Amino acid sequence: MPDTQRPVRLMFVDDESRILRSLALQFRKDYEVLTESDPHLALHRLEQEPIDILVSDQRMPAMNGAELLARARALQPQGIRILLTGYSDVDAAIQALNDGEIFRYLTKPWNPREMDDTIARAAELSLRQRAARAAPAGAAAGADIPHGIAILLLDGDPLVEARVLELCAVDGHHLHRARQVDEAIAILNREHVDIVISDLRLGEHATAPLLKSLAQVRPHALTIVTTPYQDTQALLALINQAQIFRYVLKPVSVKLFERALHAAVTQSRHWRARPQAVVARAAEAPRDEGERAAVNGLVGMLGRLRGRFGAPV
Amino acid sequence: MADIGALEHLLKPVQALTPDVSIDEVARRFLLDEHRAFLSLPVVDAVQRPCGLISRYRLQDIFMRRFGRELWGTQPVSKVMNPAPLVLQLGTPFETAAAQVTTRLQYPVTEDFILVDGAGRYRGLGTVPHLLKAMEARLLQRNQALQHTLEDLKQSQAQLVQSEKMASLGQMVAGIAHELNTPLGYVGNNVDLLRELSAPLFALNEALAHLSAYLGDPATDEEALAHALEAADAARRAVDAGTLAEDFRQLLEDTDYGLRQISELVGGLKDFSRLDRAPSDDVDLNDCVRAALLIARNNLKGRVEVRQQLQALPPLRCAPSQINQVLLNLLNNAAQAMDGSGIILIKSWADEAQVHLSVEDNGKGMTPEVLERIFDPFFTTKPVGEGTGLGLSISYRIVRDHGGTIRVASRPGRGTRFLITLPLRRAADAAEAGAAPAAPLQREIEHA
Repeated sequence: MPDTQRPVRLMFVDDESRILRSLALQFRKDYEVLTESDPHLALHRLEQEPIDILVSDQRMPAMNGAELLARARALQPQGIRILLTGYSDVDAAIQALNDGEIFRYLTKPWNPREMDDTIARAAELSLRQRAARAAPAGAAAGADIPHGIAILLLDGDPLVEARVLELCAVDGHHLHRARQVDEAIAILNREHVDIVISDLRLGEHATAPLLKSLAQVRPHALTIVTTPYQDTQALLALINQAQIFRYVLKPVSVKLFERALHAAVTQSRHWRARPQAVVARAAEAPRDEGERAAVNGLVGMLGRLRGRFGAPV
Repeated sequence: MADIGALEHLLKPVQALTPDVSIDEVARRFLLDEHRAFLSLPVVDAVQRPCGLISRYRLQDIFMRRFGRELWGTQPVSKVMNPAPLVLQLGTPFETAAAQVTTRLQYPVTEDFILVDGAGRYRGLGTVPHLLKAMEARLLQRNQALQHTLEDLKQSQAQLVQSEKMASLGQMVAGIAHELNTPLGYVGNNVDLLRELSAPLFALNEALAHLSAYLGDPATDEEALAHALEAADAARRAVDAGTLAEDFRQLLEDTDYGLRQISELVGGLKDFSRLDRAPSDDVDLNDCVRAALLIARNNLKGRVEVRQQLQALPPLRCAPSQINQVLLNLLNNAAQAMDGSGIILIKSWADEAQVHLSVEDNGKGMTPEVLERIFDPFFTTKPVGEGTGLGLSISYRIVRDHGGTIRVASRPGRGTRFLITLPLRRAADAAEAGAAPAAPLQREIEHA
């Protein structure tokens, strides 16, 4: 079967076989569903065949989910990865995000409807990616892609600032800085921004609503969050609703931060070079009504971006 | 403390004698009412500096001799006075003054002490009984302060023990809550799936009811009957009976299993905390081990392999909730001693008089310096705010209160082993239990 016509293939990995049976029954009518209770066997399959969406448990003997997802990403970077866990474990969440680039962090017990929606959204992105890959290469040539990209820094941490300044000086990136959220919005409305580096607090305000609205309006913008907080619930919301790219704990380790920056720059350049590529990002709306209203308000304020860069779905 | 000037309260302004006053005159003065309270009278020089002290005792000595009064009565007091009396400056701290007075104190007490100002000029007398009274008052005050401090300490200790208990309780509840998430996940999903899967069955039932109604009605026309038949057939085809039956069976079986697991976890929580049980009970220590393992599973799952070598044990009279707390503490410590994966070996066995339980891990172990302090209250190797440092000190106390012992051996990089020994009969042979040999511990670890 040609790659484009193949049904979307899902793989669930969990050491509890009852979870696997239940999920397989739920999704078998719409997708091709594979299940594995051993992460090593799951990796073996990933070496053999394309898996569009991988959903993994975190705590399993032999290998944890974050590690499996990181290794799956190395094998199939185009795949969409989801963590499904019953434990709130901030280290696992950070690893799954930074090394596994997860699309969602889901918790057990899950709501079947929400799980349906999440898988449907991931499947749709997967199919669009597949179609884009099959299409002949677009007109965008490597020659007119500017080497430098645009970075927006929303963090006054001297160490973070020093690393970013150094990177911009060496690689010729363009740096914008804001000390307040409205200043950041003004910049985002005026300039094209590829990478946002943000603490979770800027001046007097929390930046999470801004990051969440940005994810809806501009999925190409990659967000690196730098924060001293280790709150699993907040991180979970940032992954699912702000589609953040990396999460770096403060005080930042220079090595980790530079690795995150480097990955973001590489990804941004890749997207700039292929405007037709489908960005596998689709943010969930915040659950809390007040927060949803705040995010919608910000989406309105960032509205002009929509016109400029074309609305992603 | 109001030490400065404390001596002022002891000051009695007594008129001093001059050195040339006659002994007869001294005797007369002693008889004055205002001097009744004093054992002695001060003698000062021309510039009011004390130069001696004459006591009733000394006068008595003189006058009791034969012709004493006649021989000595007209002599100046300077000839018979104590030329080196105890002199204290009024500014002297109370404690120092008291120490000086009590070291010079002789029995019987025959003299008072002289108080002078900063320049050394005579101000008055102080008496020993007054000083003793003042010392007693101070001691009482200090005792009360100490009593308060002791009560404060007791209270904060109780609070700390309570907060450690709450911390481990919180950890336990969080652990169980997480454990529940897996069965809740598939049970919830299965119920949702069963609802979805059963929908065509209800549709089929309805179609069959329609068909049956038509069949039973002689007035039904051919076309309507054919229609109903067609509908019933479609509904039947929508239900793949074979697959459906198998799905139902599997979903229900898994759901049953999940519900059993949920009740087992909740039951484990109840067993562990023993909220509905007597504080002291005859229990099988192996049951405590199993209850603690169930609770600790959250910390162990996925990375720590637990091996159990539990031998049959006689019932042990103990406070199971406390023993469970000790076991959970040991299991969590063992899990935390491992950076990645590891093994915890739990062994239990019994002899005539005691029950033994060992918890051994192959984690990072402890240096002798750390090992020496692990039972100290507040000692912790964790970062500030992550541990109370009370876990093992409370465990130690619990085991001791049960008349048992808790011992530890550890090697850095190799692992740690805790050995708990609890006597089967309390008090009577507690001494014997305490003397149980522990020598092979260190070696066993080395061979581990």
